[in-house]
Amino acid sequence: MAEVRVENLVKTYGAARALDEVTLDFPDGGFFGLLGPSGSGKTTLLRAIAGFVLPETGRVLIADEPVENVPVEKRGIGMVFQNYALFPNMTVAENIAFGLDVRKVGAAEKKRRVTEALDLVQLGAFGARKPHQLSGGQRQRVAMARAIVTRPRVLLLDEPLSALDKALRVDMQIELKRIQREIGITTIFVTHDQEEALTLSDRIGILKDGRLIRHGPPREVYDDPRDSFTATFLGDARIFSGTREADGLRLADGTLVPGAQGATIAVRPENFQLSASEPNAPCRLRAHLVQKIFGGALGTCLLDWQGEVIKVVGRDADFRALPESGPVWVSWQPEHSVTISP
Amino acid sequence: MAMTLAGRDRRRALALLSPAYLWLTVAVFLPLSAMAFFSFLSDVPFGGKDWHATLDNYRAFFQTATYATLLWKSLKLGLIVTVVSVVVGFPCAYVLAKIVKGRSREALFLLVILPFWSNSLVRIFSWAIVLRGNGVLDRAVNAILPWDVKLNLMFSPTAIVIGLVHSYLPYVILTSYLALQAIDDSLIEAARSLGARRRTILWRLILPLAAPGILAGAVLIFVPVVGSFMEPRLLGGRVGTYYGTVIEDQFVAVFNWPLGAALSFILLAVVLAILAAASPILRRART
Amino acid sequence: MSNGFLAHLGRAYVGLILFFLYAPILVMAAMSLNASEFYQLPFRGSTEWYARLWHNGEILSAAWRSVWIAVIVTLIATTLGTAASVALFRHDFRGKRVLQVLLFPPIAIPWLITGTAMLIFFFGIGLGRGTPAVIIGHVALALPYVIVVVSARLATFDRTLEEAARSLGATPWQITRAVTVPWILPGIIAGGLFAFAVSFDQFVVSYFLSEPGDTTLPVLIYTSIRKGFTPEINAISTIIIALSMGIMLLAARYSNFGGER
Repeated sequence: MAEVRVENLVKTYGAARALDEVTLDFPDGGFFGLLGPSGSGKTTLLRAIAGFVLPETGRVLIADEPVENVPVEKRGIGMVFQNYALFPNMTVAENIAFGLDVRKVGAAEKKRRVTEALDLVQLGAFGARKPHQLSGGQRQRVAMARAIVTRPRVLLLDEPLSALDKALRVDMQIELKRIQREIGITTIFVTHDQEEALTLSDRIGILKDGRLIRHGPPREVYDDPRDSFTATFLGDARIFSGTREADGLRLADGTLVPGAQGATIAVRPENFQLSASEPNAPCRLRAHLVQKIFGGALGTCLLDWQGEVIKVVGRDADFRALPESGPVWVSWQPEHSVTISP
Repeated sequence: MAMTLAGRDRRRALALLSPAYLWLTVAVFLPLSAMAFFSFLSDVPFGGKDWHATLDNYRAFFQTATYATLLWKSLKLGLIVTVVSVVVGFPCAYVLAKIVKGRSREALFLLVILPFWSNSLVRIFSWAIVLRGNGVLDRAVNAILPWDVKLNLMFSPTAIVIGLVHSYLPYVILTSYLALQAIDDSLIEAARSLGARRRTILWRLILPLAAPGILAGAVLIFVPVVGSFMEPRLLGGRVGTYYGTVIEDQFVAVFNWPLGAALSFILLAVVLAILAAASPILRRART
Repeated sequence: MSNGFLAHLGRAYVGLILFFLYAPILVMAAMSLNASEFYQLPFRGSTEWYARLWHNGEILSAAWRSVWIAVIVTLIATTLGTAASVALFRHDFRGKRVLQVLLFPPIAIPWLITGTAMLIFFFGIGLGRGTPAVIIGHVALALPYVIVVVSARLATFDRTLEEAARSLGATPWQITRAVTVPWILPGIIAGGLFAFAVSFDQFVVSYFLSEPGDTTLPVLIYTSIRKGFTPEINAISTIIIALSMGIMLLAARYSNFGGER
């Protein structure tokens, strides 16, 4: 197990900067999620740590040891690929044993460790199968077992669950977290699914256009996004801008949002309340309800305010009293106005 | 008369298929059967000749060692040309499929495959021009080396092998390239992430996965080389007597068609045996 | 670092292969432009051998025969092959696998065997040697290539397009004309070019089936070479190879390498 650190990484493809001065710590034994839209550089960062991408400048350290000039095969990493990359000419057991063969591990020891790895991913009876005889979830587990059986210093996961359907993905998230806890390995994973990142990681990093925008524990980042990109990318948020005044924020339609600390604030859709009559809450707006969308336990209302859309998420039961459309009040508590940079 | 929908469907399929397959029957399958029939005759059954059924033609093959020796010589030639082509061609296919990227790959690949589709007779002739005594190759070698060399490659088994490798090399490059391209790059990355070096990746991953493609190419070279006659004739001169040239002689010089038919038929049996043995591999290579 | 070195080594190797493949062809072409009748060096440029071709009646008539035979073969093989491909694609029936396997023998059996068998059979049915026999043989050899190339193109065809046309009331013939054929047209063109190349470059089968003195170009070249080399052969060979490579470049453009020999 080891801590991973990258310093001032720069990687360019032609004119585009895939990594732009990225510096980041991945704590020992932690589960770190790298998040960002496609083309943000998150996969490039993961592949730079693995050694498949060679950055122009900057350093990569695994357990304080610089590895920029160490080829992939000597970095002591384990990696799970998006398409799993299981060797089709080998059985499940042979796939898992491959890394041990390369390290010339003795037969008895090899057998013991392969069995152990198969048990860890709960595929004890599948050792003799070929990859094409497995389901998507099983393949994912084999890829996992193969990556950890060599006891790597760091485990890298490249969108490990994106090829699975939703129900299976949720199961595998729990499974992945269990395996990672059991062996306590430093894990870095890339995803474009923000919910997955929030569920799995104890720290997340958000990238945009090759730059690291924000990192920290998921709850902290979610509750205090600090900038509009993080606010809207991680979860959803309505951004309000206006003029800063002594007792709050003056919006374009003249509404005063009391208690707001900056010229731009973000409010999460689940923190809005709707009512037909004027509410008591200090922050409130007059808007027009356009559409109610039924979504099971939770529902969504779309409102028009000053020609812009406000999305409100809440329990469907709370929306029932509202008309199908027409004027409504939107309100929220002052502590839910989060100041951000524009 | 009312016809069921399924019936009409079948009739339409039949109407589209039968011209092509009738043609193949008349031009390929019936001739092959006729050849089998001929190989059991004492003489051609037209032009008022006397003929009767006989096993003499096959007896000729087994009684004199000449034909069997020549068949063996042709099989050996096939083996040599195949091995040389695979050893030379596979690395080329590997470079094209896995090292060269982008548009230059497509252009290079086309350049490698292109000669294969040009006239093979003309290409053999071009080698004759290059290899002939005091020809271009002799002069080029002598211009580079300080001492006097007489290569004398023309009219030698080496000349035949060079010409045949030139003719069939693109085959194995094509099939290996297709097999190699089907190997996902992430498999190689996965092996590297597990600590494997280049040599391990080649032996444990790339060669096993490309094997069906390589074998398909090998079979598709071996079979026509065993039946070749034009190449040995033009490049081999007096040493260019092979099983194929003997069959050619029976039809264009000696006019012993029944013997030629029997020799052809024996060659066909050998070819079919090889194709049958390789068919599981060939089928895998196609998927 | 070592990766870059290997990449350079690899490219150099491909270059070496290309040299091996093209050098003799270029030497042959160069010699067709050399004035000396006995390929003597130093090289002296001359187009004499090309000029002589124009006055060589034997070569001209063989060349003309090769071309029009190839055109007829292309027309027949492309029509029959496309029809068969469409049937194989559209219909499912017992024995379909067998029909697909039957395409293999004309490609896989050495032409020496096929050619001699055709010679025997055509004599047996009284057709004998000659241009009709050559055409029948060439079409049989070209058919599998056309079917393979057109089928490869059809495999990329979205069946639901035909189903949509049917649901809109189109008859099978209308569907074929308005939906299927436009889609597979590049495949048909590529298949046709392959058929032309198979026929135009065909030596073995023509050699056994054509009448002496009434031959195709490759057969004439073969018999001439056996008598002795002349720069005239270089000249006509250079023309042939330029032509067939040009045709294959065109075919590659239409088939995207889809056609395998």
